[in-house]
Amino acid sequence: MNTDPAIAITGLVRRYGKHDAVNGLDLTVRPGRCYGLFGRNGAGKTTTIKCLLNLLRPDAGSVRVFGLDPERDEVAVKSRLAYVPDQVAFHPWMTVRETLDYLASFRAHWNRKAEAELLGQFRLDATKKTGALSKGQRTQLALVAAISAEPELLVLDEPTSGLDPIVRREFIQTVIGAYQEADPARRTVFVSTHLITEFEGLIDEFTIVDAGRAMLTLEADAARSRYQRIRARFGGTPPELKLPGVLRTRVTGREVEFIANGASAAILEQLRALKPDELVTEALTLEEIFMVTLQ
Amino acid sequence: MTLDTDDTMLLEINFKSGLPVYLQIVEQVKAAAASGKLRPGDPLPGIRSLAEELRVNRNTVAKAYTELESEGVIETAAGRGCFVKDGASPLKKDARNKALGELIDAAIVQAHHYQVGEEELLKLFRQRLDAFAERKQANEKPE
Repeated sequence: MNTDPAIAITGLVRRYGKHDAVNGLDLTVRPGRCYGLFGRNGAGKTTTIKCLLNLLRPDAGSVRVFGLDPERDEVAVKSRLAYVPDQVAFHPWMTVRETLDYLASFRAHWNRKAEAELLGQFRLDATKKTGALSKGQRTQLALVAAISAEPELLVLDEPTSGLDPIVRREFIQTVIGAYQEADPARRTVFVSTHLITEFEGLIDEFTIVDAGRAMLTLEADAARSRYQRIRARFGGTPPELKLPGVLRTRVTGREVEFIANGASAAILEQLRALKPDELVTEALTLEEIFMVTLQ
Repeated sequence: MTLDTDDTMLLEINFKSGLPVYLQIVEQVKAAAASGKLRPGDPLPGIRSLAEELRVNRNTVAKAYTELESEGVIETAAGRGCFVKDGASPLKKDARNKALGELIDAAIVQAHHYQVGEEELLKLFRQRLDAFAERKQANEKPE
């Protein structure tokens, strides 16, 4: 079996004029993962993705997809992945049906059954012209096309940003579930987003990028056990505390709140010695971890 | 009873607990099987449907099921899905006692920090056992 990473990015640099959009990014995505690339707008997410697809050439560093160079082996790489950009455009005079047939004509595989199921789930009318679709419906159509091609790698750039907030989460769950189901060990999802909450349970591993660099790479479970919020309430004014590994401290009346990075056990031990009335810990959500990392 | 036809969800994921999501599934299925909410032969939901229900990645559910299978809690019937297995633990008595002993030790350490005395701890242990037995009995009543 091929054990090459689905994506391997080493020291990637890409500039626009004097502006470094990506500035020494490293990340590795193993096959079968659902990998999140989290960052603010302008952090370098889309530039990174475009380098994977040979839509942009790196100024330095290397990008490998399935162990292949997207520039030298463009066809081999592109035939094994599907990409849904943040701005989707189709020929507006074509119907949904014609668009899917047209896109299928470029592909070696096309799963008609998956296509029909997803069209039904999204209630997309196959006879409608794509020019008459809403932005959200166009994104849905692009996702139907991407999944019907059954690629090994699904690259999604801000897939939910054009969607109704109520349907977003449901929708992304359905799409990723339908995609990974058939061959979970091999089918890989690489998704860039700044709307992290809706991916909370789906992401296996993530990289937070800022100013074109990786700020933090972790498995989601490991991140949640490492970043904790600790609240202690005391009988009187909380004592001054100097604790290891604390990212942030906030005192409100008799209560102190700490955001801890990895040293929860040591912090809890010290707090317990001070005999607080109440002591509570909870994990940060991925979105909170994102915000703490970027502040 | 099964996990997905019940009105109230038997499994619930709490991302704030800090416990890995797959372990939350493992522990909740084990608790349901121990208390009789799930009985031997009961089917577990398919990986994809449970993943959708809990809003987690299918890898997470698959990992939980693999763990449950290796602990002898469930078994996979080819093409038919996963089922709760008949009681017997695959572990030898020594290994079972050692694993349980470690969990009890952890509770004793915590009791020390909470300044809960020996008597009180034993009383609490008894209370929890009774409460568990009560739940189990309630689950065994014919529906």
